[in-house]
Amino acid sequence: MKTKKFLVIALLTILSLVVSACAAPATMPGAAPEAGQEMGSSSGVEEFTTPHPILSDVKVRRALAHCIDRDALIASVYPYAEDAAGLQMDSFLPKTHWAYSGPYEDMPQYDPEAGKALLEEAGWTQAEGEPVRTNANGDALVLKFTTTSAQFRQTWSQVMIQNVADCGFQIIPTYAPASWWFGDTTGLARRDFELGAYAWVGQADPGGRTLYACDQIPLPSNGWEGQNTMGWCNEAASSAIVKANNTLLREDRVDAYNIVQQEFAKDVVSIPVFQRAEAEAWGANVEGFTVDPTEYSSANASQWSLSDGGDTIVVAMTQEPDSLWGLVSSMAASAYVIAPGVGQTFTQFDYDFQPVVQDGLSTVESGLATNEVVDVAAGDVVYTYDGLPEVLEAGVKVNDAEGNAVEWDGASPLQMNQLTVTYKLKPYTWSDGTPGSAADMELAAKIECDRTSGATSFAGCDTIGMGEEDVQNVLDNITFGEGLEMTVKYLPGAQSPTYYLYPFGNTGKGGLYPAHQVVGDGRTLADVPAQEWLTLPEIAERPLSFGPYYVKEWNKGQNLVLEQNPYYEGDVATPNIIFVFVADTNQAVAQLLNGDVDIVEKSTLGAGAEVQTVIDAAAAGQPIEYELSPSPTWEHIDINMFTK
Amino acid sequence: MTAYLIRRLFQMTIVIFGVSIFMFSLFNIAPGGPLTGLQQQQRRITPEERARIRAQYELDLYWPVRYTRWLVGWPQGPLVINGQEFFANVPVGCYLEATPEQGGGCADYVYLSEVPQLHPKVRSSRGILFGDFGPSTVVQAGQPVWDLLASRLWATVELQVISLALALIIAIPLGIYSAVHQYSKFDYSFTTAAFIGSSMPTFFFGLMFILVFTILAGQIQDMWAWWPTLPPGLREAVRPYDVASWLTSVQPGSPLDRFLHLLMPVMVLTIVSVAAWSRFLRSSMLEVLRQDYVRTARAKGLVERLVINKHALRNALIPFITIVVLQIPLFFAGAIVTETVFAWPGMGRLFFDALNRSDYNIALAFIYVTTILTVVATLLGDILYSVIDPRIRYS
Repeated sequence: MKTKKFLVIALLTILSLVVSACAAPATMPGAAPEAGQEMGSSSGVEEFTTPHPILSDVKVRRALAHCIDRDALIASVYPYAEDAAGLQMDSFLPKTHWAYSGPYEDMPQYDPEAGKALLEEAGWTQAEGEPVRTNANGDALVLKFTTTSAQFRQTWSQVMIQNVADCGFQIIPTYAPASWWFGDTTGLARRDFELGAYAWVGQADPGGRTLYACDQIPLPSNGWEGQNTMGWCNEAASSAIVKANNTLLREDRVDAYNIVQQEFAKDVVSIPVFQRAEAEAWGANVEGFTVDPTEYSSANASQWSLSDGGDTIVVAMTQEPDSLWGLVSSMAASAYVIAPGVGQTFTQFDYDFQPVVQDGLSTVESGLATNEVVDVAAGDVVYTYDGLPEVLEAGVKVNDAEGNAVEWDGASPLQMNQLTVTYKLKPYTWSDGTPGSAADMELAAKIECDRTSGATSFAGCDTIGMGEEDVQNVLDNITFGEGLEMTVKYLPGAQSPTYYLYPFGNTGKGGLYPAHQVVGDGRTLADVPAQEWLTLPEIAERPLSFGPYYVKEWNKGQNLVLEQNPYYEGDVATPNIIFVFVADTNQAVAQLLNGDVDIVEKSTLGAGAEVQTVIDAAAAGQPIEYELSPSPTWEHIDINMFTK
Repeated sequence: MTAYLIRRLFQMTIVIFGVSIFMFSLFNIAPGGPLTGLQQQQRRITPEERARIRAQYELDLYWPVRYTRWLVGWPQGPLVINGQEFFANVPVGCYLEATPEQGGGCADYVYLSEVPQLHPKVRSSRGILFGDFGPSTVVQAGQPVWDLLASRLWATVELQVISLALALIIAIPLGIYSAVHQYSKFDYSFTTAAFIGSSMPTFFFGLMFILVFTILAGQIQDMWAWWPTLPPGLREAVRPYDVASWLTSVQPGSPLDRFLHLLMPVMVLTIVSVAAWSRFLRSSMLEVLRQDYVRTARAKGLVERLVINKHALRNALIPFITIVVLQIPLFFAGAIVTETVFAWPGMGRLFFDALNRSDYNIALAFIYVTTILTVVATLLGDILYSVIDPRIRYS
């Protein structure tokens, strides 16, 4: 009887769960809020439009930055770093970046006395013997600080909290799980912080529009779109960042980024704390190994060699690639293997770009690209100010030929810039001996712009055509010339600053597909629908290569073996490279010290305690070498200038 | 017995079903998931892009629908009878959420008719009840989970079976000897060692072994040239290596190479098991040795060896069966910590990866199979009781 009751209750519970999970929402789509209806707040005012009582004052923000001793923070997490100054930042770009024009002396550096003076000016005084400053209303200078529970951040933030306490701030820290802080609908994505710390990864192209433009402030009313979580709207900086991302000439871009960095330093809406350190280690008999901030060390794997003449180099990795199809994989481990094992069209060493299989960068200066002013009319497909392909009609916002954002009235004549770029490739041969052809590029366009491929972003394809509706709209704007070249006619308004780079593949990794290849069931690759590619072993596990190596064997969970591509036309110093997948950094270092592996790359070695083990071992005379360098990843404290 | 078995099988089915729905719900309500950190990739993500990514992980479907698709591979689309579609317009998920300006809720529902297009069969599971665990979503994107499990299974079985056999061979005699010689010097030493063995975590032993036999091995060899340098991890080497002056050029993939790679993880697992099991057996033996029938056996003049082995040990082993049969699920589940420390390419490490990276299909498959093995092992233990102990009857 009891069992029966239990079963009935269990079934009812399951049924209620199912019904509640499937129930339609109380508000149906399309229903507009009634007049006076709240916008995510009980006060009737939209969330995050009320200036923060403390942090909206620039003096307080500058004081906060003055009170943080960056050297001490760096020392707390990188006790082995000898050049702490090399990790310091005064902008959102590393000092070695081409778009950095500093130093930016307006960005407050460590000077607690200056910080205290600014707080006094701002009305925050400190009574004798009181640890925390207060204002005329008796409000205490208390701020909430949120970051992840990672030990690394807890360590430096504790030093920071002590630093600013000396100036009279009280910081209440919250060390939240990364799943909440970086969640899709929680933490940072909902601007749920006052001071928030996390990291950005610097790239060869600085981008930044989504971070610093006025129209990129996440709010309930825009569905939380954008990444400007500080709520920073500085018209000069905003216009400059839009221009920097909508201008083709590098000199103009440098000037625009300079304006943004100057304003960034003046307003102190985000405090750059430091660039992370990163380390790579390798056996002393490895030659030709280079370390770079923005490119994987495996990008020049064909030049690696062993001084003892060995024919196999072993690399330890803590992560195993999820797929060797660069289009769907965002893992560093995949890119690390794809670079030598599948091929590269271009590289991005030293915060810049270099052609590999691409036959020169297709710049305007080289004559391979033109940027013409064209007349556009209603019904034309254009690239909008918001970065989407749309049919032009009244009300659509675009950048006109002068670079101004205009909302078209539907009648006035409108001129826009249109890029036409020819991409040429050097002759290459697939690892099965078949010469590369324009059909490989055509297949890349067809698959990479197909919404069913499993790719997460189609930003590049969106600059060419309305692929969302039909991939043919993209292909219609590409012509394939004789030999290895294609010409892309971008949509009017699409002015990507990196237009000169071959547009397919994952930032230069992969991006060409062997159209001739016959897959397991007898079809040629060109006939396989995009939605099946993710599961194709010929793509995800053993792709043909146009690079110096090809994937010979992949023993899941153990190792991945690359062998020299016999048809590669360049030089290859060592015929075999084996990537072994170890579970953690300790294990990787143990294998390096033991001589089982030759290289521990940077995402595996990291910058934790294991680096000290490597340094100690090298100092003790073990045959290993290492290099510590500033990472493009930088820690910062964002300041939310608005409250809920 | 038959009625008992039928009842147990029925109960087992309910337990397995309950665990599957509980774990599936837990994964769905837990914070995080495959979309964590999407915003941090420093690029623009439009609501449409986010919706597309959610759909790749089937997060656009309501979770009961996801559950039935995972369990039995249904629904794959509208019901088709004689070429006519039914329930095509039933909403089964929300593709695009509406902004507050649109009134919140769902801006674009997923209807049953759209399921084949959004979630094509080639990327869907036929249902775990039919042996299809679906594709991996993160760890090996698009590859069948079953292939991944199969590629790791043998490594785990090898490690677990060898360490289990070794642990039994060592723990049983140790436990018996310690019980028979209670409060002797050996008993005190063994008890101390067993407490250390069972109180220290496996990763401690793992790291200590790596330190002593790999990292510091070179320095130790300066004092003792015979000291071996053992491979710190993986299942086999990728190129020849030397162990010591007396053992050089071990070839990768050779039986000797495999043996050397097994040494440290097996030692760690064995130490921990021996420490716990021998203490358990010692207690069990001590309890049995105090029983009247043991005293009677001795009074009858039986030699001590027979008393211990025939009368005491057999009875002392009965509770020990529970411990041993519950090792069966570990043949599949592996030893997460040990496999991770020694980079052993087994099931435990795969599960660890899957949890870390929110690959729910792998994690759920792992839990589901482990659950089945656990309930089967429990049943097996109960049956073995009746075989070993004639007093136990299931009726």
